[in-house]
Amino acid sequence: MSETGAGRAHGVGHAPAAENVEYRVAHLRDRLATEELGELGVRAEVRAGSVVVTGTVPSTQCRETVLRTVREELTGISVHTDVVVAETTSPDHAEDLP
Amino acid sequence: MIRVAAVGDIHMGPDSRGLLRPAFDTLPDCADLLLLAGDLTRHGTPEEARVVAQELRGLPVPVVAVLGNHDHHDEQPEKVTAILQDAGVRVLEGEGTVVECDGTRLGVAGAKGFGGGFVGRSAGEFGEPLMKEFVRYTRRSADALHTALEELADKGCELRIALTHFSPVADTLAGEPPEIYPFLGSYLLAEAIDTAGADLSVHGHAHAGTEHGMTAGGVRVRNVAQPVIRRAFNVYQLHTAELLAE
Repeated sequence: MSETGAGRAHGVGHAPAAENVEYRVAHLRDRLATEELGELGVRAEVRAGSVVVTGTVPSTQCRETVLRTVREELTGISVHTDVVVAETTSPDHAEDLP
Repeated sequence: MIRVAAVGDIHMGPDSRGLLRPAFDTLPDCADLLLLAGDLTRHGTPEEARVVAQELRGLPVPVVAVLGNHDHHDEQPEKVTAILQDAGVRVLEGEGTVVECDGTRLGVAGAKGFGGGFVGRSAGEFGEPLMKEFVRYTRRSADALHTALEELADKGCELRIALTHFSPVADTLAGEPPEIYPFLGSYLLAEAIDTAGADLSVHGHAHAGTEHGMTAGGVRVRNVAQPVIRRAFNVYQLHTAELLAE
């Protein structure tokens, strides 16, 4: 959090750091959506000074790309991630709809 | 009884080859057909569509699909549709199809749908042309779904399913931020389903949502987005009225 002002607060000497984190999270979400992943299902939220990134992605490679993008975009910010790969097993039972 | 397998939001890309096929190969043992609730690809490119097609080609159960917003991103939905159709998939957009299962006629009406929100918190057909077109697009989709469901009734279908990508109800969005509900579905779809009648509504799109919901008219709704059901597909067993009466 303490490093967040350095990158983007050009000419805004006293811009609150929290604002910068919010915009950086927004930029992260833009990148996830528009770059190679087309990923709209990953959530990134600011919580108590850290960014929490959660979601389910379709493959291990997608997960690695998400985490790499998070590291690039949120350098210097405390980040917690819980990004999992979608499960691909068959169901072990059916739901009956009488 | 008809066993309906369903999944949405499988978001396949080149690195997905073969991921779902082992599970799909078990379908003949547990289901009579497979429904795909859109977002089959990540960007809607022909290359991604071919991965999906390969995953589905030659399955011994009928496969019925709608496209999702991701399948439109590359602005070639017709090409995506053609590639899937070439693999034997029935791709629906504002139309229905009939599947015969053990002497029972099951009708599936499919439309991608669109957003707009839910009663009391929905977009109106007012103001800027873009805003009006947003709502009209959803209305056209809902109207087509309604017509398709009615036509399936006219064709004597004993069971009917409404298959969409966007959600008809807010119930199955629980878990998503309420602020984005208007981008996840529209009550117009539910109104179409309730007025035309259906036995089940299946959708995807809301990855952080909830599986179970119901329209105001009492039609059961299932969000089958793969991140929600956490499987390759779920199976729902539907019964005809005669069977229930026995």
